[in-house]
Amino acid sequence: MTNSLANSSALIIDDFHGMRTMLKDFVKAMGVKTIDSAANARDAISALRSKHYDIVLCDFNLGPGRNGLNILEEAKVRKYIGYSTIWVMITAEKSMAMFMGAAEIKPDDYLLKPFNGKMLEARLNRQIEKRRSLRPIEDAVAAQNYLDAISLCDEQLSRESRNTQDLLRIKSELLMTIGDLTAARALFEEVLALRSVPWAKTGLGKTYFLDHDLPRAKEIFQEVLSENRMYLEAADWLAKTLEELGDTVAAQQVLQNATSLSPNTAARQKTLGDIAFKNGAVDLAQEAYEAAIKHNEDSVLKNPDSYAGLAKVLIDKGAAGDAVKILDNCRQQFKEEPEALLQAAMIESSAYQKLGQPEKAALAVAEAEKLMAGMSGTAGARITIDMAKLQFQRGEKDKAMDLLGSVVKNNHEDAEILKQVSAVFSQEKLGEAGAAMINELTQEVVNVNNQGVRLASAGKFEEGSLLLREAIKTLPNNATLLTNLCGMLLGLMYKNGGGEQQTAEIRELLERVRKINPFNAKYQEYLKSLDRFESRQRGAVRADRE
Amino acid sequence: MDAEDVDFSDFIASSIHDIKNSLNVQLGSLEMLADRCRQSGDTAIVERLAPMIYEANRMNGNLIQILSLYKLGKSIYPIDFSDQTVREVIEEVLLQSQSIMDAKGIGLSLDCADDCHWYFDRDLVAGVLINALNNAYHYTDDKIRVVAAIVGGFLEIRVEDNGAGYPESFLQANVSAAKGISFVSGSTGLGFYFSSRVAGLHRNGDRRGSVHIENGGAYGGGCFVLRLP
Repeated sequence: MTNSLANSSALIIDDFHGMRTMLKDFVKAMGVKTIDSAANARDAISALRSKHYDIVLCDFNLGPGRNGLNILEEAKVRKYIGYSTIWVMITAEKSMAMFMGAAEIKPDDYLLKPFNGKMLEARLNRQIEKRRSLRPIEDAVAAQNYLDAISLCDEQLSRESRNTQDLLRIKSELLMTIGDLTAARALFEEVLALRSVPWAKTGLGKTYFLDHDLPRAKEIFQEVLSENRMYLEAADWLAKTLEELGDTVAAQQVLQNATSLSPNTAARQKTLGDIAFKNGAVDLAQEAYEAAIKHNEDSVLKNPDSYAGLAKVLIDKGAAGDAVKILDNCRQQFKEEPEALLQAAMIESSAYQKLGQPEKAALAVAEAEKLMAGMSGTAGARITIDMAKLQFQRGEKDKAMDLLGSVVKNNHEDAEILKQVSAVFSQEKLGEAGAAMINELTQEVVNVNNQGVRLASAGKFEEGSLLLREAIKTLPNNATLLTNLCGMLLGLMYKNGGGEQQTAEIRELLERVRKINPFNAKYQEYLKSLDRFESRQRGAVRADRE
Repeated sequence: MDAEDVDFSDFIASSIHDIKNSLNVQLGSLEMLADRCRQSGDTAIVERLAPMIYEANRMNGNLIQILSLYKLGKSIYPIDFSDQTVREVIEEVLLQSQSIMDAKGIGLSLDCADDCHWYFDRDLVAGVLINALNNAYHYTDDKIRVVAAIVGGFLEIRVEDNGAGYPESFLQANVSAAKGISFVSGSTGLGFYFSSRVAGLHRNGDRRGSVHIENGGAYGGGCFVLRLP
């Protein structure tokens, strides 16, 4: 076992000199070859940036300034550390702050002081062993071979019992990733039959939420919280469910409770800001957005939506001047993100409108238009609809219609988005013209699609796929076209055979569909079909060799 | 803020935190020193160091218990019930006391299946076991054995020694009246109070965890028993 620690490299992060020396002695005795140390967050980050470490031992409490969790967060998001790095957080006592961070930023293990070298070594060896056994699954996930990853989980579950809970959890996450709600629910129920475990119960609630059984979902999330009030993931989902049920006041209350238990979660603060603003609780909204911005100020996890939210609140409160300042700051922070810049420009135009400076408002709109054009159809539906509303306000009816048209064409089968588009039309008293446009554009896409499908059913997969490949160039987010193209490419491959190039293209298309909607039934079907093809290939290759 | 506004228990808690930090460094240095002496064959010093390490460990254990109880009382203890490999948790606790047991010539053994898993808060349960081992260290002759197994839907962890066992009066008072009872003569009762509190926090459906003491076991001495649903 010691062999795996020997010749590895370790970074020790502790503000206390005595502790650093002790930890260094510990890992040296284990045969660790390269040992570096850092006394503060800044040095730690620069060490992590410049070198790969197998092991990081990090004190949670590093005195004033950033703590161990902040360092881990930055290292993870900036990809200074990967799956192979073992991160052990060291702490004198168990504190809420250490356990209530964001779910995706968790150390691999934590160790309470005091401990000796043997205890540390046992923990590290355990992590190395765990990593070794989960490695193939991680690799499959990284290659987006979700079905492979799931069968690897099953294989390991049938063989060993050591990592059972980890495996079940990973498997459930994979099932949710590919949108297989039925299998996910069965798994959660199997775990819950033995004991009420919060992750499984929350997972069960999520399956009901996604199935639109909101009352059942609400009940389940409430149960999780009454059994385990610290399990705040359930609070986030409960708030989401309540909002969906239209009870935004209750949702706000749930989020307020959660943020008082764990104030340092920027994403939750941002959601609280959104919902409070909806409820007209502008002061609370402002507070929440500010907390979200402040918490992630120097972090890579900062989110432009918090700045946008705050700016809107400020405009609403009659402080449009302050809003402009926030938006300037937002632009500085998100220079490289066109969608963030676009959003900032749009809100800025209404801020200047409020301030009675129409020339500046017009400049902001011009900037937004330029940004939108630069994104060539990849802007999300929500932001495009917002831009259309802005153009209507400015009397630019044609521009607004064009924008809504592109939303319709990219989402011609998405009822929810089409509903939002027609809501904008009715608000502008263009209900009829809007309905006609939606019909016409939908028909246009349907025609292209049907033409492709006809070619395919006549066995002309080549022509069909050429047609749809051309169509998705202008409609990159259209799930129907994407899935049908997948179907044709699969058909071609089953007919003529195919290699890595073909499977890679299909996998990429499927991943695009998954991002739009993992619960798309065709996505599920084609994912399985691709998997069957690949395993048949592998079988054939094996047979050749024998 | 007026001096009177300060909640005195907060003050105690923050001081304990501070003391614990010093103690950690002290304990680490003592262990290192003992290790070095062991390597150079200086057994006389190792024997002198062992009781110091034991006392420091005991202090630290008590401080952890007080801090944990304080936090549990204020609902700010991050309880983390999760699936644990029982053997690993116990092995770690044994590693922590290995050096002092060795120095006193106490043989430690563990009987637990490799694939035994249970659902509990690792650190709280480790705290309970450290406390039980410290007691056994005091009262055993030369053997301590930890046994863990699933018995009737409960995880049962027993710490058994080959000492004279508990006096009858202890056994009668047992668990029910955790408060004010001297679990070990001259002790504050803190350890037992902590243990029963931790056990009671563990629930599954309507079943709750418990602790009790008895005489018997494989060696016929004192036994401490923790049961978790």
